[in-house]
Amino acid sequence: MRYTDFSYHDIVLLLQGLGVSVALFAATTLIGLVIGLAWATLRYYRVPLLAPLAALLAELLKNSPVLVQLFLVFFGLPVLLEMDLTPVQAALITLSGNTAAFIYVIAVSAIESVGRDQLETARVFGLSRWQTLRRIVMPQAAAFALGPLAGLLVNQLQVTSLISVIGVVDLTKVGAILNLRTLKPFIVWTVIGLLYYLMARLIAAACARVEARLRAHRQWKGL
Amino acid sequence: MIHIEGVAKRFGSNTILDGIDLRIAPGEVVSILGPSGSGKSTLIRCINGLEKLDGGSISVDGHRVDDPKQLQLVRRCSGTVFQLFNLYPHMTALQNVTLAPIEVLKTPRAQAEQEGRELLASVGLGERADTYPAQLSGGQRQRVGICRALAMKPRYLLLDEVTSALDPEMTGEVLAILARLARSGTTMLFVTHEIAFAREISDRIVFLDGGRLLADLPAAQFFAADGGLAQPRIAQFLSKMSK
Repeated sequence: MRYTDFSYHDIVLLLQGLGVSVALFAATTLIGLVIGLAWATLRYYRVPLLAPLAALLAELLKNSPVLVQLFLVFFGLPVLLEMDLTPVQAALITLSGNTAAFIYVIAVSAIESVGRDQLETARVFGLSRWQTLRRIVMPQAAAFALGPLAGLLVNQLQVTSLISVIGVVDLTKVGAILNLRTLKPFIVWTVIGLLYYLMARLIAAACARVEARLRAHRQWKGL
Repeated sequence: MIHIEGVAKRFGSNTILDGIDLRIAPGEVVSILGPSGSGKSTLIRCINGLEKLDGGSISVDGHRVDDPKQLQLVRRCSGTVFQLFNLYPHMTALQNVTLAPIEVLKTPRAQAEQEGRELLASVGLGERADTYPAQLSGGQRQRVGICRALAMKPRYLLLDEVTSALDPEMTGEVLAILARLARSGTTMLFVTHEIAFAREISDRIVFLDGGRLLADLPAAQFFAADGGLAQPRIAQFLSKMSK
């Protein structure tokens, strides 16, 4: 067997890369979701200083290239804070921040999509601002947000491929390694591309399912 | 007792309410008539604290609406039914009715649900308790809206043009329920364009025009030739509305 041939071990390598990509995607989505929703909540409560600060941060993060942010965190942060940062840590920080910024934007517009009449009604019935957020605003905003959210998540999955540049052995990095060894770029990158495609479809399908559940109340079932 | 004294409300340079004085005693049914834009709905929104007053004062059972703490108490003892229903679309009819009792009054869920089902059954919606507003007709939605307000066991019911968005048949459904409530002694402040109905159920009729209170008379007297009809503006309005 020549070194340019594919071996069974390559499948293990591919699965490892896929695992790293999926794990980073899942982790940064979760962290991004928490941070983005926290920023949106600051805005909902119109917290002085913190709310505008969150808006500014989101603005900066969503309007600059992720690759530039990644370099800034990976090369810049260790110099600034005199600390060591592994590629995975740098990837986690950058992608979480980036996802948070876009989640914030989606959450803000989703919250604003809930009609003023709904807020007024909740107030008249004596619900607190927190009760209103939890029982009235969030369920309706979530149904509104899921479409844009699905688009964002599919995109953020693709964006994880950038972290291969700083040495994280994700799916794209595995592709680069296999490509160098086998010298069969068409096969390697087709397989890598298909794997990303399958993941993206899974994410979209999961979001569509949740969305259908959240929108169940709009279904007209006849009188 | 609802005390309204010298209430003024402006939006920019537009004066909506211009020195309104009104008292509503427990058990009374008071209808507010007047042309569109006369400030009827705004008056309701001032009582339940959705609008800030630019002058005067409102108190409900001694609680002032311009104090945030007391406003909570005002909202506890008054229930509002809205023109466009304002149901929570993501909740079933029953959940719409039980939300505030559970969250605000801290009624145990089982008890709130039982009371909610009884209320819905009393307006003929017993079978529809678990349907979403989108699956209900306008009249059914407004009946849910009334149940939602009644579930808080309010001493005062504020009704803001509750039949204006309904066709005549559905209006009939809703008015029948309101007539029953009026007979059972519920205190109601009833903003409406249903003049014949207002005449039938009201103790008093108040007429607003251009933010001013032109008449506050017992129902029979309001429609008498030497009472409300003696005022040209009211006579003109009534003759237009009856056409």
